[in-house]
Amino acid sequence: MSGQDSKKTQLIFLFFLLLPFLLFVFSLSIGTYPISPRGLIRTLLSAFSPSSFPDIPSAYRDILIRIRLPRLLLGLAAGAALSVSGASLQALFKNPLVNEYILGISSGSAFGAAISIVFLGRAFPSQIAAFLFAVAAVAAVLFIAGSAESHFISLLLTGVIVSAFFSALLSLVMFFASPYALQALFFWLMGSLSLASWKDLAISFPLMLAGLVLLLLLRWRMNVLSMSDEEARALGINVRREKMLVIGATTLITSAATAVAGIIGWVGLIVPHLVRLMVGADNRKVIPLSAAAGASFLLIADDITRGISPLEIPIGIFTSIIGIPLFIFLLKKTRKVWL
Amino acid sequence: MSVRVNNLTFSYKNFSLHVDALSFEVSKVTAIVGPNGAGKTTLLKCIGAVLPIEKKSLFINGKDIALMRSQERAKHISYVPQEHESAFNYLVRDFVLMGRVAYVSPFALPSREDIRAADKAIEFVGLTSYSGRYYSELSSGERRLVLIARALAQQSDILLLDEPTTFLDPKHETEILELIRKLALEKQKTILVTLHSLEMAFRYSDYMVFMKKGGVVASGKPGDVFHEPLLKSVYDMEMKIIEWNDRKIVLR
Repeated sequence: MSGQDSKKTQLIFLFFLLLPFLLFVFSLSIGTYPISPRGLIRTLLSAFSPSSFPDIPSAYRDILIRIRLPRLLLGLAAGAALSVSGASLQALFKNPLVNEYILGISSGSAFGAAISIVFLGRAFPSQIAAFLFAVAAVAAVLFIAGSAESHFISLLLTGVIVSAFFSALLSLVMFFASPYALQALFFWLMGSLSLASWKDLAISFPLMLAGLVLLLLLRWRMNVLSMSDEEARALGINVRREKMLVIGATTLITSAATAVAGIIGWVGLIVPHLVRLMVGADNRKVIPLSAAAGASFLLIADDITRGISPLEIPIGIFTSIIGIPLFIFLLKKTRKVWL
Repeated sequence: MSVRVNNLTFSYKNFSLHVDALSFEVSKVTAIVGPNGAGKTTLLKCIGAVLPIEKKSLFINGKDIALMRSQERAKHISYVPQEHESAFNYLVRDFVLMGRVAYVSPFALPSREDIRAADKAIEFVGLTSYSGRYYSELSSGERRLVLIARALAQQSDILLLDEPTTFLDPKHETEILELIRKLALEKQKTILVTLHSLEMAFRYSDYMVFMKKGGVVASGKPGDVFHEPLLKSVYDMEMKIIEWNDRKIVLR
């Protein structure tokens, strides 16, 4: 690595490690009730001893602690989870166009979380059902695509079929849902951080963190896994076992994110792609930078959707509107090589 | 370090490979030749355990390869594929570093020592000045060298090379074959290489294995086995061998 190169990479790392924190503070302060940075600290402190800060209205405290804080923490974690999951799956399937959507993970976990919400109520953690059905969906995709899993078209088609199946099941759940549950379900499906509560985070956050740490630790091996299976095996990797490990971890973090935030598509495609444009394909850099950039991306997206109109646009709609044209662009650009 | 094949079988669709008994000489270059579809690459992939093999069919120093963990096996045998295609474009040094994966524990990053081993491998194939370049920017000859460097970074005693000279011009072909000889001589590697060029196989190998229809037809020192009747029966065509300055040229 030439000196200039490593300096550039270091600067990129520094920027992207600071960015989520800066955005986090910024996003905490903006909204229908803006709070100044100084006000933020005082409001946070007032949560611990309200009597010391008599001038801070309890409504501000509630907004900050009960609404904004869990929402933004979810944004950070979900953004990191979806981006890292995308980057990992792309390495594993040796194709920069693969994402959790294509593998059916999104639709599987959406269905799982939906039956949990509609039939078991919010009391039962929807993450569990989301994870179980996400595993079922990805297993179905891999089983049907079979040995052809490295051929993108068969993987894509199988993913479409399996996703369609789970979407049909989801419609069935919606058909039987009560009008009240239906409304909640509908809003959640469009992808939104606004439903975040400390209770949901208490389950989803550790799951996402655990999966993220595991994938971060495996980041260099993902370079080897991105080689052909024959090459990876010859280099000394137990390909089957390590693939299962990575798929398990990505399914876990995606379903944990989906169970609380709904389907937020295309983040796992856009973010790793942009990161690779900056630092190249080495997953030692791509995975951690995807985590930081993904967390930042989702916070920015959330700020924009909160800011555009008083009627919040669901963030999933926003990321899809940006992501789909980009996906088409990538598809057109790379079709010759990777389809 | 000895390599012994014992009753090795492998079947895929309507092809089957069967090798009764074959052993490879240590620190020597063995060239595997034969027509297309003879099973050369399959044999190489079986030995490299890239393809699944039955127990008790392949031994290194008396140890059954099928029973070895992939990590342990990779420290003994490295396999250089004929070509490599990837969606992701790695720098040469990152690419070669992947050869160290058998030495790096699952949740760790490569150590300084691993990076040094990779750099040395790059130096051995003469690509040090290319180490900061992207794999896709290289010519096909340079790419073969990168693949060989990655296998060298594995620091295995046995090196399997699948048609390393195919599609190369005569200069690069010679360079690769000289490098292979150098590896056997200087690094005492036991080398198995599949080749299409009979003249080059004769010139650069210590032993030759002739294959046809999934089996071994003949094996031995080039001087002993390289003769017209054998070539004719292996390739099903008339061939004439002309000798010139210790070299053999095949006319067809």
